[in-house]
Amino acid sequence: MNSLLLLNKKIYLIFSFLFIILILFIFSLNFFKKDDNSQNQITINKKTSDISEPKFSINSEEKQIFVTANEGNFLTEDEITLEKNVIFKSNKFKIYTDNVVFNKKTLVASSRDKSKFISNNTSIDSAGFDIIENGDIINFKGKTKLVLK
Amino acid sequence: MIKLIIFFLIIIVNSKYALSRNIGETEITTDDGIEVFQEEKYYLLKKNVEIVSDEFELNGDLVKIYFEKDLYDIKELFASTDVNFVSSTYNIKGKGETLTFNIKNEQINVTGIESELFFETTEMFSDGSITVNNIIGSFFIKGPNSKLITDEILITGYEINGIVVNKNGTRTISKLEVQDEDILNIVTEDTKMFSQKAFYDEEKSIIELFDNVKIIRGSEIITGDYGVLDTNKNAYKVSSKNSNKVKAIISNTK
Repeated sequence: MNSLLLLNKKIYLIFSFLFIILILFIFSLNFFKKDDNSQNQITINKKTSDISEPKFSINSEEKQIFVTANEGNFLTEDEITLEKNVIFKSNKFKIYTDNVVFNKKTLVASSRDKSKFISNNTSIDSAGFDIIENGDIINFKGKTKLVLK
Repeated sequence: MIKLIIFFLIIIVNSKYALSRNIGETEITTDDGIEVFQEEKYYLLKKNVEIVSDEFELNGDLVKIYFEKDLYDIKELFASTDVNFVSSTYNIKGKGETLTFNIKNEQINVTGIESELFFETTEMFSDGSITVNNIIGSFFIKGPNSKLITDEILITGYEINGIVVNKNGTRTISKLEVQDEDILNIVTEDTKMFSQKAFYDEEKSIIELFDNVKIIRGSEIITGDYGVLDTNKNAYKVSSKNSNKVKAIISNTK
């Protein structure tokens, strides 16, 4: 005989009900946690972001790199941190990351966050990058994967 | 339960391949990043570099790739430090301290101690450099301990240059030039040849030997200044600038 049939129906129903309640409880906890985090982030942003949606370009004789981000904060007189959805865009490539330190004086951009470079038939995933010499040299850091199509 | 575990193990093992590159793509991984020089049009791949494509696989510790317009448009590749290279498409594999691969000219150059390049059934070794051009069908081996081995012949010398031609789908050596300031060595199935310079011409079916010539076949040892071996008739002749110089030793070893 099937062992399941030996169980008391009432006990089985109670356990099933309790199990469903438990799952719903865990899900609701996670939902409220996320909601709290986003609220916290918004309040922090309101307090700390020096520049909202900064936009500027790094110019060289031949090309321009446009830089955009959701937030910007001054670190020193010359250094700015660009945060969230940071994009470097030139006519040849785009780089996406979430955190970049940019030096206005030296025009060096540096990131230690996960970055994605996309160009014509090329993509590079790295653990950060340095853009130097007006974008002529890009140094992708750490474990890096380059895919050529 | 066991079936379930096996099922998950299969999924975990195959996930590596499922996430790997697509056909036609070249995947390059490095442990210490990539430096892209847009003006100079090259990029440097650093530490434990692995390149996998449809045509070839390469491992090295430092790789420099030159490109034409964009990064994918590879012109030439230079790899150094314990380089390993395999191409099933071109039927070539090799290893050495450095490797240069010119994509357009289909030319490979391997350098360094214990360099190796296997080109179909031809094996090349050197402590100097080995160059193979797939389009022209030429090869150059230069340096100490240079060696060429095929199914029919073994050659050692400081400099071994040759041309390979495709006959009925198989590549055979059509021309060969070997030089060694000390002494070079050519070994066929039944003959050993020594000299300082040698030429092989497949059309004429001859091997010419110059300076300090010595031919050993069985119990015969002939020395002189010039030797010629007819590979069709399997006969040879040795001569000398000085008519008294040719020396033949025929010993009965039975």
